Amino acid sequence: MASAWVLPTILGLPLIGAILVMLIPRSEAGLARGFGFGFSLATFCISLAILGYFDSEYGRFQLVVDKEWIPGLNAHFKVGVDGISLWLVILTTFTTPIAILSAYRAVDKHVREFIAAMLILEVGMLGAFVALDMFLFYIFWEVMLIPMYFLIGIWGGKRRIYASIKFVIYTMAGSLLMLVAIFYMYAKHGAITGEYTTDFVALQKNLVLSSEAQFWCFAAFGLAFAIKVPLFPLHTWLPDAHVEAPTAGSVILAGLLLKFGIYGFIRFAMPMFPAGSQAWAPLLAILAVVGIIYGAYVAFAQPDVKKLVAYSSVSHLGFCVLGVFAMTAMGIEGSIYAMLSHGLTTGGLFLAIGVLYERRHTRRLAEFGGLWKQMPVFAGIFLIITLGSAGLPGLSGFIGEFLTIFGTFVASDASIPVPRLLAALAATGVIFGAVYLLYMFQKMMFGPITHEANRTLKDLSGREIAVFLPIVAMVFFMGIYPRPFLKSMEPAVERFMTTYHTKLAQTRDQTYVPGVSPKQARAAESSNPGALVPRLQPAVAASAPAAVAPPADAQAAALQAVAKRATAPPVAVDQAPAPPVAVDQTAGPPVATKIDPQTRVAGVKGALR
Amino acid sequence: MTSTFNAFDLMYIIPLLVLAVTGLLLVLAESFFKGRQRNHLMGLAVAGAIAAAVTAMILFRYTPDDEQGRLVLGMLKADRFAYFFTVLISFATAVTALVGASYQDEHNWQSGEFYGILLLVATGMTVMAMAADLVSAFIGIETMSLGIYVLVTSRRQSLRGTEAAMKYFVMGAVASAFMLYGIALVYGATGTTNLDSIEKVLANVQDLQLGLLVAGVFLLVIALAFKVAAIPFHMWAPDAYEGAPTPVTGFMATAVKASAFAVFIRIFVNTFEAESTAFGHMGWTSPLIVLAALTMTIANVAALRQENIKRMLAYSSISHAGVALVGVIAAGLGNREAATTAVMYYLAAYTVTTLGAFTVVAWLGSRDRERVLVDDFSGLASRHPGAALAMTVFMLSLGGIPPTAGFFGKFYVFKSAMEASDQALLWLVILGVINSAVSIYYYLRVVMTMYFRDPVEEFKPLRAGAITVVLVICALAILEMGILPGFWLGLAGG
Repeated sequence: MASAWVLPTILGLPLIGAILVMLIPRSEAGLARGFGFGFSLATFCISLAILGYFDSEYGRFQLVVDKEWIPGLNAHFKVGVDGISLWLVILTTFTTPIAILSAYRAVDKHVREFIAAMLILEVGMLGAFVALDMFLFYIFWEVMLIPMYFLIGIWGGKRRIYASIKFVIYTMAGSLLMLVAIFYMYAKHGAITGEYTTDFVALQKNLVLSSEAQFWCFAAFGLAFAIKVPLFPLHTWLPDAHVEAPTAGSVILAGLLLKFGIYGFIRFAMPMFPAGSQAWAPLLAILAVVGIIYGAYVAFAQPDVKKLVAYSSVSHLGFCVLGVFAMTAMGIEGSIYAMLSHGLTTGGLFLAIGVLYERRHTRRLAEFGGLWKQMPVFAGIFLIITLGSAGLPGLSGFIGEFLTIFGTFVASDASIPVPRLLAALAATGVIFGAVYLLYMFQKMMFGPITHEANRTLKDLSGREIAVFLPIVAMVFFMGIYPRPFLKSMEPAVERFMTTYHTKLAQTRDQTYVPGVSPKQARAAESSNPGALVPRLQPAVAASAPAAVAPPADAQAAALQAVAKRATAPPVAVDQAPAPPVAVDQTAGPPVATKIDPQTRVAGVKGALR
Repeated sequence: MTSTFNAFDLMYIIPLLVLAVTGLLLVLAESFFKGRQRNHLMGLAVAGAIAAAVTAMILFRYTPDDEQGRLVLGMLKADRFAYFFTVLISFATAVTALVGASYQDEHNWQSGEFYGILLLVATGMTVMAMAADLVSAFIGIETMSLGIYVLVTSRRQSLRGTEAAMKYFVMGAVASAFMLYGIALVYGATGTTNLDSIEKVLANVQDLQLGLLVAGVFLLVIALAFKVAAIPFHMWAPDAYEGAPTPVTGFMATAVKASAFAVFIRIFVNTFEAESTAFGHMGWTSPLIVLAALTMTIANVAALRQENIKRMLAYSSISHAGVALVGVIAAGLGNREAATTAVMYYLAAYTVTTLGAFTVVAWLGSRDRERVLVDDFSGLASRHPGAALAMTVFMLSLGGIPPTAGFFGKFYVFKSAMEASDQALLWLVILGVINSAVSIYYYLRVVMTMYFRDPVEEFKPLRAGAITVVLVICALAILEMGILPGFWLGLAGG
């Protein structure tokens, strides 16, 4: 394939850059910066080639590269993108050069190491977004951790040591349990099919765990992702890490690292353990709404601007979690879109705070005021980004928040409890968001200049304008013309929903075979390893054909009806007396009677139009 | 059982002979050197260790993968497993000799017998790795242990070292007694001490003296648990590790442990079937499960509070022994091949990493002041970035963070435990990963001190090119083993 070079190249380029930068003499700080910026910019340009090769009509993984890596483990170096990860990859390559450029002045000690850490961080993030092998994903996931630890710990603020260690311990604790779940899947897949693999696509296709196992596996994956998001009671590492991190680190942290939580849910936890997801979704959705409102309240009370923006992240990412667990195509697309927009706007806000901090060495709201007169260009840019973050229609934040809230509103109450109430509560979060963001803007920009030090502030330099310009442009573009983004997500999101529901049906099938307890079924399964596989094939095959043309008048009501039908207890396929080993029976394609994923997708699509 | 002497068989134990002969030569040569000159013996010691490693590699290549292994002199088994450990032991010996010379120079003590004893200890370890008989295993363990006691106290002026050696000696003697008594009981039950014969007897004979056998097996478990310093048989370890000269500590934490695990696998995994050694349905693994859980957890918690980096690494090595025990248990519970591979890989990764870490600790101290506190590492990164980077790699590898060898070793051990016996070890695996998360705190504390703190006083590290070479080799090997572990797994038999 002609396109196979792209993903390895964007992974390799920053890595080579990092190694080269470490070889530059320590005194050549300028050269190191130039190298870092050059390599990250080149990575961005090459990542645009993904857009060229990417077929947005196609929901499966594209630009796939699959190389054998560890034969003993049967782990592969397998990478690829689909509509869900595509824009996150671009966001990563887009943000990194901006972050490096923004740190030209702010970072003046250990410049070489700083650049190397940023580039390795980029490798880790890109790798985790494109990895299609669980083992590979885990490696990249952990690789992100160490450079971030150094970014906070070396170039951070006063309490940097506390913040950095807290960040690492929180993240590690979650991700190690995820590793246990990966072992579990690996062992199960090996026991059932006879083939040991960590390939994500194979695991997703062939491995149907019992509901109980899915419950625990989802918990293990979910904990890792919920800490990363961060979801409400697990968020306490975030304000510390943000406040202590240098500006560039905050930009990466808020703009990109937090996205891995949501991405992990969509990519791994939900499609692999739909039954677990269904069991946990009510709790997670409620926590998301609590996070939205709590984050907004706490943000409003912060005297430190950076902490304010940090808490606003807790609030904004609550929307993303809510949208994902609503399990409507709209909610999920909205969630991905909100992630992209949050990456731009919150990254932009942190950059703006960094600009002020470089000039005044303080971040207290009370220290500012009346800056509009002193720094008109800065104020204008800051205003656009603030409004984008607050969700003003026409700017990027609005689309994502609107889609998630609407997606939640029309969600079936089988996936989350009282969807309309949750949507309404989340909508109040938008209002609070506008309140604290505008309050912040007003405190800093309007009114008389109360501090003498503010009278001598210089407006943005050329380099700083170059940092902000792409962000502002994208905030406008994504607000006005979301079509190309949503269009390329759609097939992947539809495919995600199909696999989710197919697998859910398979899980039910497997667990509640009449007359056979789950335990017996498991025993049969382990005594007769090959038995499950042929039975699962038809189910997977049935979901493959192209979508039926969507009925034009399908509306939210239709969608709910479909969803209700899908989640109602399945009619048993075989009413015949229970066979001694029921799993051995090839009971025909179970999908047909239990759920019609095509109808469901059609309904969702109709609702979106 | 044929134990007729065959001169041709000696070919299979060349590495063993090389080590033994070099050791004896060194003891002889020592009397011809005086004072500082004695450190020239280091060259011979390193050459001997390297020669042993190279011959072991060659023999490894010419030993077919599937062969049961050839019995040499009725006492030693020459198979890939043995050669794998021989290479590992020789590597540790070479590094210890290299670092030991600079260390002795700097701290102004010359001990010529250091090298001779080191090589003889390595000989004992090789015997352990090749043991095909309970008696040869015992001889190997004793040869090793007696030498190690001397090495611990080789810096005679040091009170701490003497105290540590004394403690170690007394405890070790008790362990030896357990071992002997265990061997006697097993012999009483089966009528043989040859491991292959024991296996046959266990498989074929119906009316075994189970009481004797179980008691014997338990005594063997205790004796070996002493040697790998599993909790609650670890009391000697922190003191002995702290009191011994730093290069010797590194040697104790790696080669001693690796060879003890080789015996563990030889005796337990390969000889006693877990199910047939009547003690519950898990046989000898049931006491080991308790030991492993205790070892991982208590050692980790203890390491959290250590200010002395040698003590911290001592506790860390105890907790690593707990992880390796998990692999041994998995091998006993039906996942023999994969789990044995995992333990071998794990020990290799752990050996390279820990040797590197102790080398940095030995390198940092100077004559006036041995820097062994974590705080002594303050600001190392700004003065000696290369050493700090190497130490970071070692700490990350010990903490099990990818892409290092330590991560993959842990991953592979836990994976094999997961596959063994229908997820019966799931809770042990979960306990293991929680412990890994905890351990990250104290490993990163060293990294944090090196990078995030400012230097308090000037560093006056040892000046030796050999140490730089060791650090570079260890760090690169850790990364290579972590990123492309396939080759190493293949060597370990996976």
